[in-house]
Amino acid sequence: MSEHAIAEKSAQQLNDEMLSSMCTPTWRWYGLAFFLGAVVAWGLSAFAYQVMTDMSVTGLDRPVMWGIYIANFVFWVGLSHSGTMVSAILRLSQANWRRPILRAAEAMTVFSITIAGLFPVIHLGRNWAVYYFIPYPNQRGLWPNFRSPLLWDATAITTYIIGSSLFLYLGMLPDLAVVRDRSTGWRQKLYAVLAMGWRGTAREWVVFRKASTLMAALIIPVAVSVHSIVAWDFAVTVIPGWHSTIFPPYFVIGAITSGVAAVITLMIIIRRIFHLEEYLTPLHFDNMGKLLLVICLLWSYTYFVEVQTTWYAHEPIEWEVFSFMSGKYTPLLIIMLIGNSVLPVTGLCFKKVRRSVRAMLVITAMVNVGMFIERYLIIIPSLSHKNMPFVWGTYSPSWVELSVTAGAFAGFTLMYTLFAKFFPMVAVTDVRELGHRHADIRLGRAEVHSITEEEG
Amino acid sequence: MEKITSPYKWGMIVDLDRCTGCGACVVACQAENNVAICAKKEMAQGRNMHWLRIERFWVGEYPDVRVRFLPVLCQHCHDAPCEPVCPVYASYHNPDGLNGQVYNRCVGTRYCGNNCPYAVRVFNFYDHEHAWPPPLDNQLSPDITVRPRGVMEKCSFCIQRIRRAKEDAKAEGRLIRDGEVQPACAQTCPPEALVFGNMADPQSRVSRLARSPRRFRLLEHLGTHPSINYLKGGGREHV
Amino acid sequence: MEALGTFSDVETANRAVERLVKAGFAEKTITSLTSAPYPDGVLVKTDQRTWFRWMSLGGGIFGACAGFLLAAGTAYMYPVQTGDKPIVALFPAGIVTYELTMLFAILGAIVGMFLEMRLPPRRERVYDPAIGDGSIGISVSTTSGSESNRAASIMKEAGAIRTIAEGNP
Repeated sequence: MSEHAIAEKSAQQLNDEMLSSMCTPTWRWYGLAFFLGAVVAWGLSAFAYQVMTDMSVTGLDRPVMWGIYIANFVFWVGLSHSGTMVSAILRLSQANWRRPILRAAEAMTVFSITIAGLFPVIHLGRNWAVYYFIPYPNQRGLWPNFRSPLLWDATAITTYIIGSSLFLYLGMLPDLAVVRDRSTGWRQKLYAVLAMGWRGTAREWVVFRKASTLMAALIIPVAVSVHSIVAWDFAVTVIPGWHSTIFPPYFVIGAITSGVAAVITLMIIIRRIFHLEEYLTPLHFDNMGKLLLVICLLWSYTYFVEVQTTWYAHEPIEWEVFSFMSGKYTPLLIIMLIGNSVLPVTGLCFKKVRRSVRAMLVITAMVNVGMFIERYLIIIPSLSHKNMPFVWGTYSPSWVELSVTAGAFAGFTLMYTLFAKFFPMVAVTDVRELGHRHADIRLGRAEVHSITEEEG
Repeated sequence: MEKITSPYKWGMIVDLDRCTGCGACVVACQAENNVAICAKKEMAQGRNMHWLRIERFWVGEYPDVRVRFLPVLCQHCHDAPCEPVCPVYASYHNPDGLNGQVYNRCVGTRYCGNNCPYAVRVFNFYDHEHAWPPPLDNQLSPDITVRPRGVMEKCSFCIQRIRRAKEDAKAEGRLIRDGEVQPACAQTCPPEALVFGNMADPQSRVSRLARSPRRFRLLEHLGTHPSINYLKGGGREHV
Repeated sequence: MEALGTFSDVETANRAVERLVKAGFAEKTITSLTSAPYPDGVLVKTDQRTWFRWMSLGGGIFGACAGFLLAAGTAYMYPVQTGDKPIVALFPAGIVTYELTMLFAILGAIVGMFLEMRLPPRRERVYDPAIGDGSIGISVSTTSGSESNRAASIMKEAGAIRTIAEGNP
């Protein structure tokens, strides 16, 4: 929507349109929530079956002791970079087109990191003993081993869950106040508590703006460190194909790719469902498309570097891992390269493609399919063909692991569905602020539209 | 904080020129350490529980075919990749130079199993209670536990035997003599291809054999500094 | 004690602010209540300086100490040898220290922000829900009920849709 149109609509009309997702749920919403709940329940029961029986119900064996659960873990951590990168970076660079996108991106971060945090518990052989990880004074005479990358994971994910939840909540504070003012009954009480008595005084806005900027600046290094730490789970080992110094930057770039693509996909979906066509315009998709193009180019670069150095040095066991992967998983490899590299880089160069919602949906969905495959192809082939050829093995996920994966996807979507119903899906006050900063100025012979910049 | 030192530094010699690939060591290890007997299905799935495996390689073309045997067990690396990655200290380095595995501490992340370049660590994918239906459970060694599901295990150089020997030696006020403690595999090996002893004692049999020019180590380029030295090359390199 | 007036647009609200200033109310006692922010000075001028960022810094320093003690301190107190890694390993300790620094910096920022905004409020304050739908509120802090009334009547004359004056029996 152009700033003109925002300035012309009344505040109430803007509120009505942007908060339309929070109306009384329709039978369609209940149907969706019920279906997703059923898939989650299926995933949970598969997990319960695994805990009650033993780990033989998975497809894991020696030597492939990490499988699709860890692929899921890395994928969901990667997806959690969506909100941080999109929201925080765009806030700090003061890009005005970020405004309708922020909330969706930040919510996506919180939900995907929550799902990601479940997988380290799911993949344990003795899940009930997971409290051994927690550093608290105890009578066992042992603290957890902080030299282990898994403990760095635990620390980083805790920090990121707390940080991104607070980031989401902070951004929502003024919007929650608007919702509080418009609701009645139990909802009014709920939002009144959440809004913490926000009134929108000038002073509150000053502090709020500075806090948002500070949080955006703080959350970006956390996000970079989280995925670097996940990358170190692999990079600090002696496993051929994993022991590579490019892994941390490679994983961070992969995460941003995954996240930006997912935000675009989500934008398309919520735009359609909540009739936000005037707020999420082709301009927004154009700009996000450019962002995605750049980041896919970076991903292609890092992947090329990774393969090229393996090929050139041709260390026998490393090359063996790569040729095993490209030989056994050729279809997956091709889909990955098309999804992450060929399709986005060629397609997104064209403005027509970027502005077409349909094309963007296809491209971004393919990017995420490609990214999931990429995680799988990093983890499993390296473990399959390790250093001692006598114990080379294979792996394919079992129905239990696939059910839990499906449950995770459904859980994420369900959380999103619930969130959209109870919380403002578009950053209402942020979008309205644009209208306050807009003015048509007569300059020479034309009437130019201008936007006041935010204070420094 | 002072470092705990020990007069022992356990090591082993595997003489490949003597190994016949009979597999008696594998059976002995299984008997001594309550290692589960695995069904055909488990073996086919790659989930066998052998702490010690005999790798067999065929060399050459018919009719000039030879076979090579390589017994691989936990190398008890001095720079073990499996130890720092365990988040709960279930895998640690013993002052005696052994790589210890603490079963009741293991939560089953399997990171150690991944990071072991020799792939000697095995994971209890199955609950092996059914492996010893009564009266077979009478054969279980009382000195060592039966591991539950979800726990990693591996060769411990028969630490229960080392413990016993230490107690006996301490009672008599002396150190363990060379050859007094033998893990099950070394005790059983018919051609004496497996030799176990104290590497810190330069006169022990393992130390003397380790000075042999035939000596090599597995995956030496990874810098894991294993405690096991392999011997090969008694003039039969064409084999 | 506050007097609140609700206005339908920016111009009417501005006139009210100017009349209040002319009537003797200090500018720093007047503030705007809006559901979406206006650039500084459009309605009222506010002090742009904030102190909550010091709390973020303090949180960061606390987190750094906590992280180091957790990673290096616990390893030192309960030493277990793993691989050839030193008991106090600096790379891992550095990573954990960094994470906890950021965590407590973030927590410090949020707590500091709420403290500086003085939220949640200890007592009920004047508010008009119409502000959520775009009306602009002008609030004057006063010291007595009669001053509140005077402010409220000035705002009414300037075109307020609704006024609330606190401190009346």
